[in-house]
Amino acid sequence: MSKLFLIDPKRGIEKTYHEFFKDIENIRFINKVIKASTPYEVFLMLVRSLIEGIVVDLLDSDLSESEIQRLGIDEDMSAQISLKSVSVPDSETFFELIKAGAKSWKIGLYTSGTTGRPKKVYHTFASLTRNVKTGDKYADNVWAFAYNPTHVAGVQVFFQALMNENPMIYVFDMEKSEIPNAFYNYGITNISATPTFYRTVLALFDKPVLSVTRVTLGGEKYDPNLENEIKRVFPNAKITNIYASTEAGTLLTANQEYFDIPEDRKNFFKIAEDGELLVHVDYLGESTELVLDGEWYHTGDIVELTEEGKIKFIGRKNEMINVGGYKVNPNEVEEEIKKLDFVLDAYVYGKRNQVTGNILVAEVVLKSNVENLQDVETAIYRHLQNNLQSWKIPRIIKFVDEVKLTRTGKKVRR
Amino acid sequence: MNKENIKAFLLETINKILKKKGSKPIETLDEGVSLRNDLGFDSLDLAELTVRIEDETGIDIFEKGIVDKISEIMERIGVNE
Repeated sequence: MSKLFLIDPKRGIEKTYHEFFKDIENIRFINKVIKASTPYEVFLMLVRSLIEGIVVDLLDSDLSESEIQRLGIDEDMSAQISLKSVSVPDSETFFELIKAGAKSWKIGLYTSGTTGRPKKVYHTFASLTRNVKTGDKYADNVWAFAYNPTHVAGVQVFFQALMNENPMIYVFDMEKSEIPNAFYNYGITNISATPTFYRTVLALFDKPVLSVTRVTLGGEKYDPNLENEIKRVFPNAKITNIYASTEAGTLLTANQEYFDIPEDRKNFFKIAEDGELLVHVDYLGESTELVLDGEWYHTGDIVELTEEGKIKFIGRKNEMINVGGYKVNPNEVEEEIKKLDFVLDAYVYGKRNQVTGNILVAEVVLKSNVENLQDVETAIYRHLQNNLQSWKIPRIIKFVDEVKLTRTGKKVRR
Repeated sequence: MNKENIKAFLLETINKILKKKGSKPIETLDEGVSLRNDLGFDSLDLAELTVRIEDETGIDIFEKGIVDKISEIMERIGVNE
């Protein structure tokens, strides 16, 4: 029997590697800009483009028209590439095909964008699989897939599983109460997810999962409070913390909150006077849109160097707000709120909490002729739900008389 | 705020979040109810709840670990009997 490739219980999808190979053979055309509707389709298109060795862009499946417009995509969204026919009878052929295509394949992923519109960064097979490990040790791994498959962390987990022909159980958007059973039933051994994901689901496990041997955290600042809870649920797991970005892929890993810079990578990192971590251009994905300072890229992350030469993350330099591992640009949300004709101004900020790190709060200034605040609030939510991804929607709306500005007319970011 | 007012506030806040999710409101604070399993709260819903409670009472209900049952929230904000 062929090995399992993907189980996506929410969508009722179950595929073996053999079926995956067959589906690859049946694809005749591929969109230059991939916007697939299911995780399986994302994986299928990703791998098919890789085998073809072409350049494609990958978008979130739930982006709205206005969000896509703001991305400023310069490609024709409907442009299709017709593909050479390909035969994938077995794993051996499959990996040979990947190896051949990898030389010219590139994939464009979008960063969250600090100011103005997000930037597109191209990754190669080499940059995305920099930290992928293969070998007998990994052959029996079973992955809980707990990231968005179109984001850099998801793509990396995908390749880690794919290159070892491991099964993936898609738990990312699964009904939370069903996640523990997925772990018990499928014998999951590995999971990589944001601290927010762990905070949300661990409490639902009423008995430990002994099969899990590796737990990885990424996407947000490390949360030492989570460690005990992770150990309770996954007593046999080694815990790894990972520092990655869309710009560079995986940069550093740590056992706890202190990151080691490996000896052979020391020259790629530098800390600026104000504590900001800089990464050398040779370590990044390829982009004409990233602003470089000579050969150095400013990560926007403020770090502290310990006496032992390890680094600890302190916070963000810029104004991006991290909501459960997703970086939200408050400017984008404000822009969307201000599209409503009864809104005069809006100011969006993050409010700290223990569950998702931050949630968004919007202060909204209304034009004077508004009567029923309850209706206005409902109208704002409805508009945002139609136009923004869920984590970009402020959870609390406060109506105020004015938004505080600096002398230069910019909003005071707290 | 006295205990009854805090309870009313808690009920109102939970229902505000349920309404946004398109779910039916609850009528009473049933202590055994699980926010995640019974009311379908996701991480953003939980985050909103904790922030609204903290704004009103000054108490961070997740400070000493994760809560899930309504009884646990009432205990954290000190209105359990």
